[in-house]
Amino acid sequence: MTALDNLLLLALLTVLLLLAGRRLSSLGWYLTILFGAQFAGLLMMGALGYGAPPVPSSLHIGVMGQVMQWRFDALSWLFALITVGAGLTSSWYLAGDWGRHYRQRGGNLWLLQLALAVNVFSMLLLLASGDLLSLFIGWELVSWSAFLLMALNGADAMRAALRYITYAMAGAMAMMAGLGLVLHTAGSLQYADLAAAVPTLSSPQLWGLILLFGMGFGVKMGLLPLHLWQARAYSETPGPGASFLGAVSTRMGLWGLILVLVQLVGLVPIADLAIPYTFLDARELLMWVAALTIILPTYTALRQNDARMLLAWHGIGQGGYMLLGVLMGDAMGSAGGLMHAFNYATYQAPLFMAVYAVRYRTGTSDLNRLGGLVTRMPLSFLVMLVGIIGLAGLPPMNGFVSKWLIYRGLINDGQPLLFIAAVVGTFGTILSVYKLIHNTFLGQLRLEHVEVREAPWSMTVPMLLLSAVVFVTGYLPGLVLDWVAAAQQAVGLPVLVHTLGGVESPLGSLDMIWVSSLMFAGFGIGALLFYAGGNRSKAVHQLDNYAGGHFLSADVRYQYSDHFYAGLMRHIGPLYRNSFQWLEGALGTTVETLGAAMRAFYRQHHPAIYLLAVTTAGLIWVIL
Amino acid sequence: MSQIALTIALPFLAAFLLPVIGRVYEALARVLGPLVLLYCLWLVLQLWGTGDGHPVALAMGGFRPPMGITLYVDRLALLFTLLVSLMTLLLWPWQRAADSRECALTLLLAGSASGLALSGDLFNIYVFYELVSVASFGLVAVHRSGAAFVATLRYLVISGFGTVLALTGIALVYSQTGTLNLAQLAQLAPDLLAGPVGLAGFLFMLLGFGVKGELFPVNTWVPEVYATAPARASALLAGLVSKLSLLVVLRLLVLLYQQEQALQLLLLLGVLGVISGELAAWRARDLKRMLAFSSIGQLGAMFIAFSIPGNAGLLAGLALALHHLLVKPALFLLAAGWPGAVERLRGLARGGPLAAGLFVLLALSLIGVPPLPGFWAKMLLVVGLAGQESGYLLALAVVLGAAVLEASYLFRVVAQLYHRDEEAARPRPYLLDLGSAALAGAVLLSAVPFISPLGDWLAGTAAQAGDREGYIITVFPAAGRPLYSAAGGGKPALAAAGPLPEPKP
Amino acid sequence: MMPAGLPFLFYAGAIGLLVIGISGIVLSRNLFRIILALALAEAGANLLLVLAGWHWGGSAPILGQGKALETMVDPVPQALVLTAIVIGVGIQALALALAVRAYRAYGTLDMRRLRNRMNRDIAAAAGIPAESSRDAPAGGRPTPPVPAAHRSGGGRA
Repeated sequence: MTALDNLLLLALLTVLLLLAGRRLSSLGWYLTILFGAQFAGLLMMGALGYGAPPVPSSLHIGVMGQVMQWRFDALSWLFALITVGAGLTSSWYLAGDWGRHYRQRGGNLWLLQLALAVNVFSMLLLLASGDLLSLFIGWELVSWSAFLLMALNGADAMRAALRYITYAMAGAMAMMAGLGLVLHTAGSLQYADLAAAVPTLSSPQLWGLILLFGMGFGVKMGLLPLHLWQARAYSETPGPGASFLGAVSTRMGLWGLILVLVQLVGLVPIADLAIPYTFLDARELLMWVAALTIILPTYTALRQNDARMLLAWHGIGQGGYMLLGVLMGDAMGSAGGLMHAFNYATYQAPLFMAVYAVRYRTGTSDLNRLGGLVTRMPLSFLVMLVGIIGLAGLPPMNGFVSKWLIYRGLINDGQPLLFIAAVVGTFGTILSVYKLIHNTFLGQLRLEHVEVREAPWSMTVPMLLLSAVVFVTGYLPGLVLDWVAAAQQAVGLPVLVHTLGGVESPLGSLDMIWVSSLMFAGFGIGALLFYAGGNRSKAVHQLDNYAGGHFLSADVRYQYSDHFYAGLMRHIGPLYRNSFQWLEGALGTTVETLGAAMRAFYRQHHPAIYLLAVTTAGLIWVIL
Repeated sequence: MSQIALTIALPFLAAFLLPVIGRVYEALARVLGPLVLLYCLWLVLQLWGTGDGHPVALAMGGFRPPMGITLYVDRLALLFTLLVSLMTLLLWPWQRAADSRECALTLLLAGSASGLALSGDLFNIYVFYELVSVASFGLVAVHRSGAAFVATLRYLVISGFGTVLALTGIALVYSQTGTLNLAQLAQLAPDLLAGPVGLAGFLFMLLGFGVKGELFPVNTWVPEVYATAPARASALLAGLVSKLSLLVVLRLLVLLYQQEQALQLLLLLGVLGVISGELAAWRARDLKRMLAFSSIGQLGAMFIAFSIPGNAGLLAGLALALHHLLVKPALFLLAAGWPGAVERLRGLARGGPLAAGLFVLLALSLIGVPPLPGFWAKMLLVVGLAGQESGYLLALAVVLGAAVLEASYLFRVVAQLYHRDEEAARPRPYLLDLGSAALAGAVLLSAVPFISPLGDWLAGTAAQAGDREGYIITVFPAAGRPLYSAAGGGKPALAAAGPLPEPKP
Repeated sequence: MMPAGLPFLFYAGAIGLLVIGISGIVLSRNLFRIILALALAEAGANLLLVLAGWHWGGSAPILGQGKALETMVDPVPQALVLTAIVIGVGIQALALALAVRAYRAYGTLDMRRLRNRMNRDIAAAAGIPAESSRDAPAGGRPTPPVPAAHRSGGGRA
């Protein structure tokens, strides 16, 4: 019984205990404790540092001539850390008041908790897969458990979940075809055999591999043009489920792409596949797809008026950064991509949690009906502030480090256009997250929200914990970069040389300890001047003010949060063409029409005519 | 081993005696059918246990092949005979056991289906095929509604068209080879059936015997019949009878027509079947017809599997067939309790959680979600198709696209079932139906840990079924020399035979 | 003493019967005619089967008449055809019984009207509106692409 076996068994035990313990009260706390145990187990397995061999599982199953096995290497460990951490904080979030509130409103809390546990288990199983068959099985399990989580809320959520499962099945079937291709070319589904067979693959076969597996993993990741399902599905998932899915589920696709395209196939054969009549090769094509995935969803997020949808669209966009980083294939860029996966989980989860905390207290997440909550919910504001600084990629949070690494990698790689694309994406991110925090917390407090209190401790503690992680790993990025370097080495990418404070290399250096210390020193000097100089500040009511020749009154709305960025929208508005949705709609209409045609074929009043025609045609074909 | 003929004879006997007994001892008439089927089941299990796995050829009445009727009992035939008895027993019309006509028809179906599985002779196959047809006509029209009669009539017309084609095909084969014994045909086929006449015969026989197998384009009867027939009849037709038609096509392919054009023809018809079935299912508005169209699609996939040259295709087709045989009848039984449009199913999961959960399980297996058995069957098909050339790759794309469509429309139904609305008490599946469906679900789940040994056993069965030389040697052990020699244009020379054999007692 | 061209006549007859029967099935609208045409087609197929085993100038396959075995026609197809005729007759009887019942239920033997009535009954039993190609297509119209100039704000997923 290796450490991996113990971990998987513990995760399975969590699921089984939940299945059995439906009637238990405070089941949420038991779940949180179990997730904590899984997290501890994962940390104890952290012998997977740099250069350590993968931890195998003692389970081997032989089916139909293929052997399935499971193992954890440093890459799996990094993603498992994110998974179990997100599961832990999510279950903590729903263990207390939020869960009670959810049950009161008619939701099935037990099913939500079960879905969470099943998701974590299936993701661990996926991450531990040691050959392509167990990968596929784990992938399907992950897809369907995510479906369960998404479909919990009924009506609208079920519709979004159905849309998701159609996309997910399309991706899974592409992957199945890829498995068939691998079996045909490499002879077996073991990782080593595929890696060994790659040099012998012909160009169409290599393209087939890239496209099939790319489509399979890309659907989950939300790569363009397979991203349309994600925003609505994630925003309709109940509370902590959304934070869990947003943080982790998408990254499974990234993990798959890294495993198959980078580790097994290798970036060099991919970069050698030139696309005729263009200057691109396959690797650059993928990088451009990632770049488009950054820009388009981020600017779609700009137009959202529901906080959950805004964050969900961001989730798609940030995935593009990770893929872009990893595809660069050098030490800095790939480290940036991998670290971004970790960072993103740490600030997306608390952002969703903060939004749901506001929703819990005020009953809405519509950005046009909130405002000024900073005085009533200061902790949630702090969490969201830390989150958006991280999401925007500004110091001193950890998002800055990963984005810096990616930018630096792009510059080193000599990709000015992609660099501009990434920067444009960041610009859009900053704009839209400011809209989020402004419309929710800043500005004028509404009359109906005057009595709103801060979210209960069971909800604020996990949020604050994650924000602390964001800050600490921003201050000391070397902690995460250790894990990232181990993952790079496991995958076969060049390893980033790093220090506790950041990176130091001839290609560019970053020392976050200095940067953050300087920032806080600046704040500190300001604070010193302020407080030592006598603290001549006075607390006034927000409406104790004078504007436009009038004193303010409480029933008038002075903050206009609708049509945020109206000026910008006037310029870039015409560029929003909803083309991908039109494509999806066209595909759906085609299927409907073909279905109607087939239906009419089966409704004809005298099928003998068709039979005769087919028989005659067959005869002619046979004779000729 | 010759007791296997009892699985054909006993149900026939019971079927003909049932109406008579029904008038005299009604209680006996109720249980006679299940008793006979139970005995046949026990018989087959016993023969399975005592056999050594090698195929056996039985000459009926002592007439040696190719003159007499041969029954060919290999693992595949034995498996299907077992499944016939088992499925007919499980899907016995208990609610209408007083109606001796329906029981008699079901017994007829069982007997002739066993005969179809065991036949070693082309005309024997034809006769039993027609018997199965007649029995199914009766079973479909049991409801006696106008729609049922018209649906049966349309089924009959297409079936009749198919009969004519099959008979013409048999005539063509006989004109080329002079024999109808499958083993002798297997010997003569590479020389005599390779030309256009032989292939035309294949086309006709395929269309003729494909009616039951829901082959495109002779499958227009499917949605109407499944919508108007009682659920158990639909289950029997979709689950059992279609697989027997597949078995016939398998024997034709393996023994007579191994050439490329035959396989291409089958591939084309299979692809068209998958496309038309799944797309039509997408648009279906009620559950029974949705399942009927889905059935067409899946049988199309099985035909695609059979069109792959070599044993890999046979294995994939058999795996798909066995899986479908388990899942589809259970789905039809569940659908019997949920009549009407899909919209009317809203919220039914609240009242019937077991039924809804079973539906989800069966749907997942049908779509091919691991680790359920449906995934492994589909994987075999994908692996078999991936290694071939472009036509087969197109078929692979079609099959995988069909799986996406299936997921979409099946889970549309699941979404309706688990809708949050409160529902008044709605009709739920009849307990026995629910029990049979639950049994199917249990078998499905319990097969998951044993996929590997099951797969190996199936591979052995498929290899045995695909072994043309072995078939010939089993039926003609004397180094494969037939009683007749094919002289000249293939017409048998009677004189070479010597005196005709005495009929043995 | 066999007229030359007799084999051709028989073969033409068999195939002709088949063609008449099949075209009858395909072209007829009345159910009764379809059943009759089916009977004709089956007769043609049976004739073809007998012809497959025919030995031109041969004698009837009856032992004990002093004729040599080589000159007899092949008895096997004749046995098969007997069975096929019986099966055909059975199915025709069944078809006629069903046709009588269908007529009693629906009052017509026209295939088109029968199909329409059947579809309407099936749809009524299921509680869904019956589909007919003459009515408007069910479901929503396919969404046409909207040109960018008409697009308004509001980010919808």
